[in-house]
Amino acid sequence: MTLVVARQMLGAEILKLRRNRAVMGLAFVLSIGVVLLFFGYTAIEHASNPATNGPAGGVHNFKRAVRALGLIFGALSAALIGTEAGTADLSSGVFRDLVATGRSRLSLFFVRAPAATLVTLAFNGLGFLIALAASFVFADSLPTPGVSLILQSGAWIVVSNALLVGFAVGVGSLTGSRAPALTAVIGWQAIVTEMLLSVTSLGSARDGLLTSALSQLAPFNINTGVTMATGVAVAVAIAWLLVPVAVGAWRTQTREA
Amino acid sequence: MTNTTIIETHGLCKSFGQRQAVIDLDLAVPRGCAFGFLGHNGAGKTTLIRMLLGLTSADAGAMRIRGRPVPAYRADVLARVGAIVEEPHFHSHLTGRENLEVVAAVRGPEARPRIDGALRRVGLSDRADDRVRTYSQGMRQRLGVARCLLADPELLILDEPMNGLDPGGILEFRTMIAELVGEGRTVFLSSHLLDEVEKTCDAAAIIDRGRLIAQGPIETLLGGERRELDVGCDDAHIALDLLDGHPAVAAARETAGGLRIVLAGNDGVADINRRLVGAGVAVFRLEPVRESLEHRFLEITSRVGVPS
Repeated sequence: MTLVVARQMLGAEILKLRRNRAVMGLAFVLSIGVVLLFFGYTAIEHASNPATNGPAGGVHNFKRAVRALGLIFGALSAALIGTEAGTADLSSGVFRDLVATGRSRLSLFFVRAPAATLVTLAFNGLGFLIALAASFVFADSLPTPGVSLILQSGAWIVVSNALLVGFAVGVGSLTGSRAPALTAVIGWQAIVTEMLLSVTSLGSARDGLLTSALSQLAPFNINTGVTMATGVAVAVAIAWLLVPVAVGAWRTQTREA
Repeated sequence: MTNTTIIETHGLCKSFGQRQAVIDLDLAVPRGCAFGFLGHNGAGKTTLIRMLLGLTSADAGAMRIRGRPVPAYRADVLARVGAIVEEPHFHSHLTGRENLEVVAAVRGPEARPRIDGALRRVGLSDRADDRVRTYSQGMRQRLGVARCLLADPELLILDEPMNGLDPGGILEFRTMIAELVGEGRTVFLSSHLLDEVEKTCDAAAIIDRGRLIAQGPIETLLGGERRELDVGCDDAHIALDLLDGHPAVAAARETAGGLRIVLAGNDGVADINRRLVGAGVAVFRLEPVRESLEHRFLEITSRVGVPS
């Protein structure tokens, strides 16, 4: 596959995603709406009673927004867009027609995650910029984020989103069906992972969770109750990318079209 | 394999569990014609198409498309093959044009400039920027053909393309196929609509329960060697006596309005008419009997008495 074809296929994947109004609308609400709501609500609270409610901006609220974009609402966007990218061709029946062009199945698969990551980052990136602006605009007397924190936070969101998109694309390509894939990804990240993190008797077994690794890699402390070496966190994060992607690629290669 | 065949299979087999879908299939599809692939529902038509396109693997046998073995040269071969399998599917939230852009991106940079021409050709230029979910079944079929044309195909494989089309749509489709063949392309058309195959195709193959049981030009499949003549006359009994022993008549029998004659050769109809009229028999009709493909198909694939 030439670079020109790869770029065209990436563009086509992005087209499929961005023209899906329902997915784009939900991603907007999760990635941007939530940030606007958080800072807007906090700013109103502060304006109405400054004695008990602190300013909406500053480093602390910036970190809260970054955490939301990397692990919570932004992660939901990533899951939504990733599963859509992983299942769209299969659930619509177009996969068969694409395979019949002679293009390799693996090349069809491997444009999904980059396209979904770019679309996810468009939303979460905008959410990040809004959070950044708000943390300065509403800072009042509070300290504002430094350049290092801003850059590290941005990079962490990119890594976190890319990992979650890869996970979601892999699961989506494995199941081929949107609803089960979305349920599995969100259920695992939002419910099962949180339950496992709270089970202290599992000890270092919890190091293997994606949320544990991402929290360890965050540029500021995110308390999940689990700590591990950065190298271990990197290895766990890479495994969470490679394993689902490998499984999704294998299924794409072997499924009846 | 010769340059005159565009699809060739040898000993092709495919099973799903215990069920044999395709059995030892030897098929040769000539280039530059409309070729019908006939069979009952479940006969193995779509399974063969799926194997040709690499959508499923064959259990045994060999296939060649455009002179090259598949799946070994699948990518090269399919670069100039357009196909609709079962029914065309699209991303319903995208417009017709956007759906073609998606496939053009996968096909390669040379496909994108063909989008407008393909849409124009299938008569969808006016609706190209509407979402596909608003398209009728016929429009989806036409968009499917437009998608095939992005490959500038030497070979089009169309699986039941007339399904869901109204009579006007079927006529348009038939015309389009004739035009495509006129451009030197080959159209491989799988169908259970025998009348359509007879009207559209130059040659055909018949598959029944996974086995290929006949293939060749339509005329040959219809029994081209055997010519029959219906004679409408006022006295069939006398006419039968008059033609007894006539060299042009291999056999004859009375029918409701006259005679049904099996001709001994290609000539002799005028002489038969002359003899009858000369003997005072009023002849008001001489009509060659053309056996329909439907009749021939049912005759060949008759399952009467065959346990299921």
